[in-house]
Amino acid sequence: MMQTPRRTDARILVVDDERVNVVLLERILEQDGYTNVRSTTDAYQAATLYDEFEPDLVLLDLHMPGLDGFAVMEQLEGRISSDSFLPILILTADIRPEIKRRALSAGAKDFVTKPFDRTEVLLRIQNLLETRFLHLRFRSDAVPEGRAT
Amino acid sequence: MWRRYGDAAYTLVTLAIFGFETLALGALSLSFLLGKWAGVTSTPIEGVLLATVVSAASALAMVGLYLLSYQFVSKLRDRRHAGQLDTWTERWIGLALADDSAESIAGSPRSRRLPRAAVHAVLSLLEAVKGEEGDRLKAVLARHGVDRWLLRHVASGHLTARLDAIESLGKARLPQSLDSLLVLLEHPKPVVRRMAVRAAAGTVAIMPPEPGPDGPGGKFIQALKTADLKAGVVQESLLLLETKAGAVLRDLLADPDLPDSLLWVVLETVGRLGLADMAEDISRYAKHEDPELRAATFRALHRLGTVPDHLQRTLLAALNDEVDFVRIQAAHAAAFLPAEVALPALEPRLGDDSWWARRAAAASLARLGDDGVSTVKRAAQTHPDQAAREMAVQILLEANLLDPATARLAKGVA
Repeated sequence: MMQTPRRTDARILVVDDERVNVVLLERILEQDGYTNVRSTTDAYQAATLYDEFEPDLVLLDLHMPGLDGFAVMEQLEGRISSDSFLPILILTADIRPEIKRRALSAGAKDFVTKPFDRTEVLLRIQNLLETRFLHLRFRSDAVPEGRAT
Repeated sequence: MWRRYGDAAYTLVTLAIFGFETLALGALSLSFLLGKWAGVTSTPIEGVLLATVVSAASALAMVGLYLLSYQFVSKLRDRRHAGQLDTWTERWIGLALADDSAESIAGSPRSRRLPRAAVHAVLSLLEAVKGEEGDRLKAVLARHGVDRWLLRHVASGHLTARLDAIESLGKARLPQSLDSLLVLLEHPKPVVRRMAVRAAAGTVAIMPPEPGPDGPGGKFIQALKTADLKAGVVQESLLLLETKAGAVLRDLLADPDLPDSLLWVVLETVGRLGLADMAEDISRYAKHEDPELRAATFRALHRLGTVPDHLQRTLLAALNDEVDFVRIQAAHAAAFLPAEVALPALEPRLGDDSWWARRAAAASLARLGDDGVSTVKRAAQTHPDQAAREMAVQILLEANLLDPATARLAKGVA
């Protein structure tokens, strides 16, 4: 049976065009004990970073120049296998329901509205990671012994 | 002259052109001078020509040099500013995430005026974080007198300084700036009014709710009613109210003196924000004498995905409204009526004079379960109106309820 990884060992990828937001999220995560955080302000790098880093969670800004959050999710969709659960937490100042609906149908799992509350962000991250790890554990347990790769 | 992107390429191209011109003119000047030195006789006209060529070459060389140095200095300044911004961002984040209370930060001895990068960094952070961390950052602004400085500049006679101050206050969302921002909603320049209402809305969004005309929402409503603002700007400001939008919209709807133009924006915003609990509040405008308001009401109900029971008859009547855009929105909203009520009312609308009304009716029918889909399919083949048949086919194709071959057949029948 797979051992559930520690929450703070989770790999978290931050994608936001505003450097200030990226640094802020990095420091908030560091302060809460997370040690595996990578980030980019260039949305075009998101897919490459995803391949290299294989994150457990993606924190994604929605409105970015060039490649926006929707396009990034589209890129990631092709990389995520249908039976895996990769949580994408959207950070956006846009509160319109149609934007939320669009993002949810594109693969987002939760939202945090900017300006965000530190405690709220951390709790949402924690919840999504718990779901992610439970899913990984379930998948691992479901594979018959001797066939796990 | 300078763009955000392509500065380097622009400089290189300009330099290449100027350099080529300078070289050509330089060579020409040199040949003239050599001719003089070689004792070739020169006329006064040749002298004037020489002076012209030399001065033109010098001017081009100077402009080229200026371009180079401008680019160099700009890059240097940008790099230095980015470095300072990073340093200050780290410093403010450290302070925001520390355990000090906002009161102790604001109460500490007043420090020197902050450099531009420091203010920029703290304002950018305030756009990203709120709560205790945001309060600590606001305390930084108070400690360094930035809040007072911004409030002074909001009243500045210099337009750029005023706009910068309004933008900064919009990021900072300081409760003490609300009154100053609302005063600007009467400013003669539209750009000032637009920026002020955005900043004011963001500020109201973070202020604790306080009922009555003297609360932040009440003051905002009063200012909005008298301000000369375009509908889109008002709607944007209402969206920026975030969680306070519902209360403000409700107060606006309760106002008997609300101008129709503002009422239209309120109805649109209720729909766009998906405030389903306000469906009852807006339903009374479904019979308004102004067709724009009737249409806005049905559009909002369609977006909310609900039609109050008592509004069913009004909505059914609106499907036959004399104004086409009311019929269109009513047909969209009818998708949320009980199927047995909506089906017989929507089917005749497939033959509406308006293309959009036909489309809305077909789309709504297709959303009304198996009976609705059957109605559209039947219409695709047997409706006496060719336009209705074609629309039904179109909607079935879009909803993947019809394969293209059958669609061609249906059109052929049509």
